[in-house]
Amino acid sequence: MADVSAYQRLHPRAYYEKFLSERIRPDGRGLDEFREVQITAGSISTADGSALVRLGETTVVCGVKAEIAEPELDAPTNGYIVPNVEISAICSPRFKPGPPSEEAQVLSQQLYQTILKSQMIPANSLVIHPGKAVWTIFVDAVCINYDGNALDATLLAMVSALCNTRLPKAVYDEERNTTFCSREETVSLGIQKVPVSMTFGVFDSYHVISDPNSFEEPLLDSTVTVVLLGDEAISVSQGGLGLAQKTASDNPVQLLANCVDVAKKRHKSVQAALQPVA
Amino acid sequence: MAQPSFDRRRVNGPEESFPPIFPDLPAEPLVTNGKRRDGRALNDVRPIFLQTGLISQANGSAYIETGNTKIACAVYAPRQLKNAQYSDVGRLNVEVKFAPFSSKIRRAHLRDVEDRSIGQLVYQSLLPAVQLHLFPKSSIDVFITIIENDGLESCVASASMAASTALADAGIEMLGMVVSCCSAINDDGIWLDPDTAEVKASRGTLLLAGLPALGTITNLWQAGQITSLDALRCIDACHERFKDLHDVVIDALMQSNRAKQAQALS
Repeated sequence: MADVSAYQRLHPRAYYEKFLSERIRPDGRGLDEFREVQITAGSISTADGSALVRLGETTVVCGVKAEIAEPELDAPTNGYIVPNVEISAICSPRFKPGPPSEEAQVLSQQLYQTILKSQMIPANSLVIHPGKAVWTIFVDAVCINYDGNALDATLLAMVSALCNTRLPKAVYDEERNTTFCSREETVSLGIQKVPVSMTFGVFDSYHVISDPNSFEEPLLDSTVTVVLLGDEAISVSQGGLGLAQKTASDNPVQLLANCVDVAKKRHKSVQAALQPVA
Repeated sequence: MAQPSFDRRRVNGPEESFPPIFPDLPAEPLVTNGKRRDGRALNDVRPIFLQTGLISQANGSAYIETGNTKIACAVYAPRQLKNAQYSDVGRLNVEVKFAPFSSKIRRAHLRDVEDRSIGQLVYQSLLPAVQLHLFPKSSIDVFITIIENDGLESCVASASMAASTALADAGIEMLGMVVSCCSAINDDGIWLDPDTAEVKASRGTLLLAGLPALGTITNLWQAGQITSLDALRCIDACHERFKDLHDVVIDALMQSNRAKQAQALS
């Protein structure tokens, strides 16, 4: 057993190739199998909405805090949604303490774009008084354990926390130029559909594996992320080296389409996990 | 909370935003018939849930929940000390971070003074316990994330206990387990393990950390107005609880040990 783990540390690529040639991965999953998702919502009492998501071992906690701000002059009825993810030293030996690493910055931007594009919270649903007061929804995610595929886990945590969020009923007082909120009455964000992402990795320009974990991630050439909203794919993005063709029958575009198909099949099980929250 | 600086490394919100204003609540009595709001007696600590192994990427980890306070701790050790001169003894680094949603008012992502001072307190509580002379040229990194904060002093106390459990889980040699208890005092008496509202209503607070196995104290932090006599009474009250807290910590470690053994056999 000690030899195997030494081999894994010293020659990770060769170790991994041996598994892939048998169409299986070191953790026992098939090539297009995702890890199990566990979502727990509403456990943080200081936050207006919260969720804890475990995607296999990857653990992300997300809390939503709502504050009140003045809207922009050219968009008097638009509120603000500010998602941020913190991937710091606690979750993996790869990360050092300090300002957000490149990974965290890229992830925060990706999540921001996804939430915005999906229009899950229309910007004018956050208005309290046009031109004077709008809600600012801070969606902060903290990664507690990083075992690969932080994007899927964090997006799931953020949308679960947003579905779980209840804003206090707010009334703008013109005379005093302030907004007062009620302790008793709360309003939900009225979210109809949530975006869900599925990430795949491409190994050796040939194998497409779903939901890479922290051992597989450094070995991948590129990653493909499919974002589904309801039944449609609203975004397919690829990062890293392009998909090369190893055989004539491998069309790069077809590979992406296959990913979308696998993602759609998996969507049902994720929606089932989201059901108690949404 | 106003965000005065545009942080180009994060997604930014509006320049200024304010937490919602609620009508004042009628003051709820904190103690009725000798029992606090959650049914505790004055000298009872909140029930503790402590578990190791939450963070698989770390060498050792622990998660602690006391009342509403939730803290996760990871230990990466021993790690090579880079960019530093050779040192005979290891270095203990403790970093504490409050999650932005951990308190009633949202905290900025940047590490501020409070994070550092809490980190310093936890460091002082742990330092005498770790046998650093067995780890030359190495650093022992302890990272603590406070997920929910219900009482700053109890956060420090719980963080110290989680850290020492995580250190044991990582196999770092120590002289004993560190346990910590906090107290608040006002005219009603001494309250152990106060939460946010109780701290606000108190005159002063006192936190005690020590190694029950050796019968020593590792840290004492007092804030507010406390007479010397009252301070001594607070210390005694905290010290009385040490044995129970130590049992909780040892229990958690034994459970995790049994789980590891069961897993090794299967």
